[in-house]
Amino acid sequence: MNDATPTQHKMSARDVSVFYGDKQAVKNVSIDIDMDKVTAFIGPSGCGKSTFLRTLNRMNDTIASARVEGQITLDGEDIYSASMDVVQLRARVGMVFQKPNPFPKSIYENVAYGPRIHGLAASKTELDWIVERSLKRAGLWEEVKDRLGDSGTALSGGQQQRLCIARAIAVDPEVILMDEPASALDPIATAKIEELIHELRGRYAIVIVTHNMQQAARVSQRTAFFHLGNLVEYGETDNIFTAPREERTKDYITGRYG
Amino acid sequence: MSKTAPLDRTPTDWKAAAMQRRIRKRYRRERVFRLLGLGAVALSAAFLAFLIITMVANGTRGFMRTEVTLPIDLPGAGFEVRREQLDTAGADLALAGAGLENLVKAAAVQAFGEGGEEMISDKAWLTVRDAIKSDPGLLTRAGTVDVPVATEVDQAARGSASPEAEAAVARLEKAGALTTGFNPDFLRNADSTDPTAVGIWGALKGSLLTMLVTLLIAFPVGVLSAIYLEEYAPRNRWTDLIEVSINNLAAVPSIIFGLLGLAVFLSFMNLPRSAPIVGGLTLALMIMPVIVIAGRNAIKAVPPSIRDAALGVGASRVQVVFHHVLPLALPGILTGTIIGMARALGETAPLLLIGMRAFIVTPPGGLTDPATVLPVQIFLWSDEVSRGFIEKTSAAIIVLLAFLLAMNGLAIYLRNKFETRW
Repeated sequence: MNDATPTQHKMSARDVSVFYGDKQAVKNVSIDIDMDKVTAFIGPSGCGKSTFLRTLNRMNDTIASARVEGQITLDGEDIYSASMDVVQLRARVGMVFQKPNPFPKSIYENVAYGPRIHGLAASKTELDWIVERSLKRAGLWEEVKDRLGDSGTALSGGQQQRLCIARAIAVDPEVILMDEPASALDPIATAKIEELIHELRGRYAIVIVTHNMQQAARVSQRTAFFHLGNLVEYGETDNIFTAPREERTKDYITGRYG
Repeated sequence: MSKTAPLDRTPTDWKAAAMQRRIRKRYRRERVFRLLGLGAVALSAAFLAFLIITMVANGTRGFMRTEVTLPIDLPGAGFEVRREQLDTAGADLALAGAGLENLVKAAAVQAFGEGGEEMISDKAWLTVRDAIKSDPGLLTRAGTVDVPVATEVDQAARGSASPEAEAAVARLEKAGALTTGFNPDFLRNADSTDPTAVGIWGALKGSLLTMLVTLLIAFPVGVLSAIYLEEYAPRNRWTDLIEVSINNLAAVPSIIFGLLGLAVFLSFMNLPRSAPIVGGLTLALMIMPVIVIAGRNAIKAVPPSIRDAALGVGASRVQVVFHHVLPLALPGILTGTIIGMARALGETAPLLLIGMRAFIVTPPGGLTDPATVLPVQIFLWSDEVSRGFIEKTSAAIIVLLAFLLAMNGLAIYLRNKFETRW
């Protein structure tokens, strides 16, 4: 609320640093994330992009040695302030992980879990409707509608990942963080996920971490390049890939290292 | 780089004699190792078979008893108990007071001649008493009752005994029909000085009550400790100290826990001596470290991705634990619990110290009644000099093993029920 920007960003990070014990993994990163945009974080392994992603919904809280400095806001509200309820924050800022991690429960239960613990559905009918809508948005409904009682872990890898996306959007988040969502999938499943990201863009702010530069170029409107914990360059995806300002960005994109 | 092996080295000759020898040696090692493993399994199977065969061979006789048909004529002997008295609470007292014990002995002398009272069990009159209570007609007419024979006769009837006992058997066989059958009293009675009258029910019930207390205390406390230590506790010097302490407690000799129980539950808290509640609490202290260790390992084995997934949709820590971690860890926790419970069931030493080795002739009615448990009962019987106790000891071991198998079976059933298919 204090440093009011003329156009309100969905999420803003200011001088964010993350430490694991004495080691600094993320160094003074400032970035804005907007609705209706897909923001891609790229960079070589160990550059801090996943760590930074996890600070955006405080998933780093579970790591005892991790310490976050700086300010991150969601709709102008500091998410690290004492008044921020971390459970609600994670419902508003959903997450999809690198390895598909459905619960070892039925497909229905996987999607219904979030709405259930947050009390989003007043009745069974409403819950059914939320599950159906989420699976439809995740592009999985047609494949699983006849076997919602089957275990979520019995699906193929790509289907599992879309199930995880359905699970994340079932609680109506505003931002979805995706940590290399396609890195464990085959090319066809990857294409489906990318297609899905396109479709979801209008509804949510999406942040995706990826190793795959073509993927970043295909799905994102903005790209941030991280290197050794620093945010080297952040801008429109087209500019980053065609005319990077920084030498290091250019070297990475052209495959000189990484 | 140029100093390494020349590139034009001769290609490997897989058919060379040295190479063939090496291959043969490798196969031989495989075979030897497999045979060693097989031998170990066979040896342990043989030991197990030996144990079971010995126990069953000795123990089945412990479940049987020899009975003799004793003709008895209550009205003829002037026995004065009226029919109505049998329906009152004082029936046992009335029958005993009217001299039933002596009357039964006299009937034995009459039926089997001189020394007949020595041939039937000291407790035979109790069998007659129960027969009268179930068939009051015996008060008004002459009849017969199958009563247990004395221990020596019982032994002789099955083949091994002194010459006079053999003679007694011969006389009994002539006088009345000797029969050998299942002994229902063994499953109904408690301890006794007479091996034909002893029963296992007192010890079995004592074990059941003790295990119940142990499970009710150790399982929740152990599992909650494991959850706290694994999911909530910060990693620092204190938690390290607690972890080391728990690991050490799991290895402490059980008799030390008996001393602890004696000091805390009996001397300090003034709980009743020899009671299942004290035994259960003492054994709960003993197996709690086992459950905590098994529980922590099971919780640790739950993939972190499941925790991430639940946190990611906004589950609180308690929800993560109770909705996801605990259900997935439950099979492992149950395995640890059953190992602990099996150990508690077989434990004797700590229970001796809190007074559960007392001679107790009635099955416990509740948690605070004096009781004994199966292993202690086995220990006590194995110490008896009377020959009749040998087979009773084996029979008690069979009951203990059956109890153990039933408990393990239940645990395996529960584990399979909760096992998650991935």
